[in-house]
Amino acid sequence: MNIDLDIEYYKEQLQAKEDMLARTTNYLIETQNDLEEKNKKISELYKDTLDSIDVAQHIQESLLPDVNILKSYFKNAAYFIKQKALVGGDTIFIKNNNEGVQFGLLDATGHGIPAAMLSISCTLLLRELSSSVELKDPKSLLNLLDYQLEKAFDIDNKLSVAQAEGIILGYCSKDNTLNYCSAKGKGFLVSKSGEIVELASIKKSLGDLNKVKLYNISIDLEEVQKLIIYSDGLTDQFGGENDTRFTKKRFKNLITEHFDKDAETFANIIAQEYQTWRDDTAQTDDISFIIIDF
Amino acid sequence: MKILNFEFDLVHQNPYASLYYNEEFQLAICKADQDYIPIAHFKSTFLFVSEMIKTKPIKHFAFDKRNLRTFHQPSMEWYFAVWKPEVKTEGLIHHYKILPSEPWFAKSVQAGKHEIFQKYGEDIVEGITITYVNTLEDVLETIQKTN
Repeated sequence: MNIDLDIEYYKEQLQAKEDMLARTTNYLIETQNDLEEKNKKISELYKDTLDSIDVAQHIQESLLPDVNILKSYFKNAAYFIKQKALVGGDTIFIKNNNEGVQFGLLDATGHGIPAAMLSISCTLLLRELSSSVELKDPKSLLNLLDYQLEKAFDIDNKLSVAQAEGIILGYCSKDNTLNYCSAKGKGFLVSKSGEIVELASIKKSLGDLNKVKLYNISIDLEEVQKLIIYSDGLTDQFGGENDTRFTKKRFKNLITEHFDKDAETFANIIAQEYQTWRDDTAQTDDISFIIIDF
Repeated sequence: MKILNFEFDLVHQNPYASLYYNEEFQLAICKADQDYIPIAHFKSTFLFVSEMIKTKPIKHFAFDKRNLRTFHQPSMEWYFAVWKPEVKTEGLIHHYKILPSEPWFAKSVQAGKHEIFQKYGEDIVEGITITYVNTLEDVLETIQKTN
């Protein structure tokens, strides 16, 4: 290769290198500007979404009932609710009239915004429907709710997953009777001696009863010290050393250990135990529970 | 040149690039031998393929750029806008590329392609597959898998 050719080769290569460097630099600047613009838009969208959820959270929390209503009928009462994503599918229902109080807990399918919409619908439906149902007949209230969920959310056309599991109780103060009806709702009765009895339930959710019959069960209050109803977000929570579920067994052990504590103290203990178990693990599901002392 | 026990014939060579061919794979390989290929040699190497394809079956083409440290945008533009569409009409539609391991080179190629696509539109490569691989062995394995 002669010197002239060598010079031409290096001149072309140098020109190509300069050109390549300039083009790549411009491209990277363009890409960075593009990313910054997109990042700005995403941040704005994220802020808008968070603001909306923040308002939605306030709306959902404003529907939560006053625990003092329960306290006026029972020795003590407490409830706890913590949605997984600011808003969620768990809801607490309490409504009283001249004869007593209806109360319960519902856990709508899923979590987040869709579950919250369903949960709010359930709350409003329960408020509306409860006035036409006798205290001693929580079954009818859940039947009506099931009917309304199917009707309102068009389940026949398979467009909806509007389902909820839960339990409703009716306390009649005149004759001191307590009846409940459960559709996959979860709960325990604790006797004065500490014996724990699980509340019976059908295995179908509201909105999906599909001709399965609900039934009322009467609770003999003579020997009962505590009633605890809860959503499965508590027992399903992952955590602990091996990242396992909290489990019903651990919950029952907690009850055995603390059943003699008053409802409010016990509610705080459960909340603390839950948090200790969970630690840094993400919340698995919405959680809620109600405790009544007799 | 032997790749995975398959013999490739050296069919063309200049001081900057070598061209190999294997009929069984219907594959031609252009291997950059220097850190830069001047445009005149670049074009002559690829035009050799354009001529070769008229007499020999070539469905696959691999460009091994691992020795390159500089690429020439006008060469790349010609390669995309003129040569590729020309050999596509002759049935050469599967292209394989091996880039140097330096990330900045890949980024520069991306910048160059971006400019070409802006100028000619992305449909310039329509009907052509471009597969990035790490070695020539990968090219053969890819062809074997798809056959």
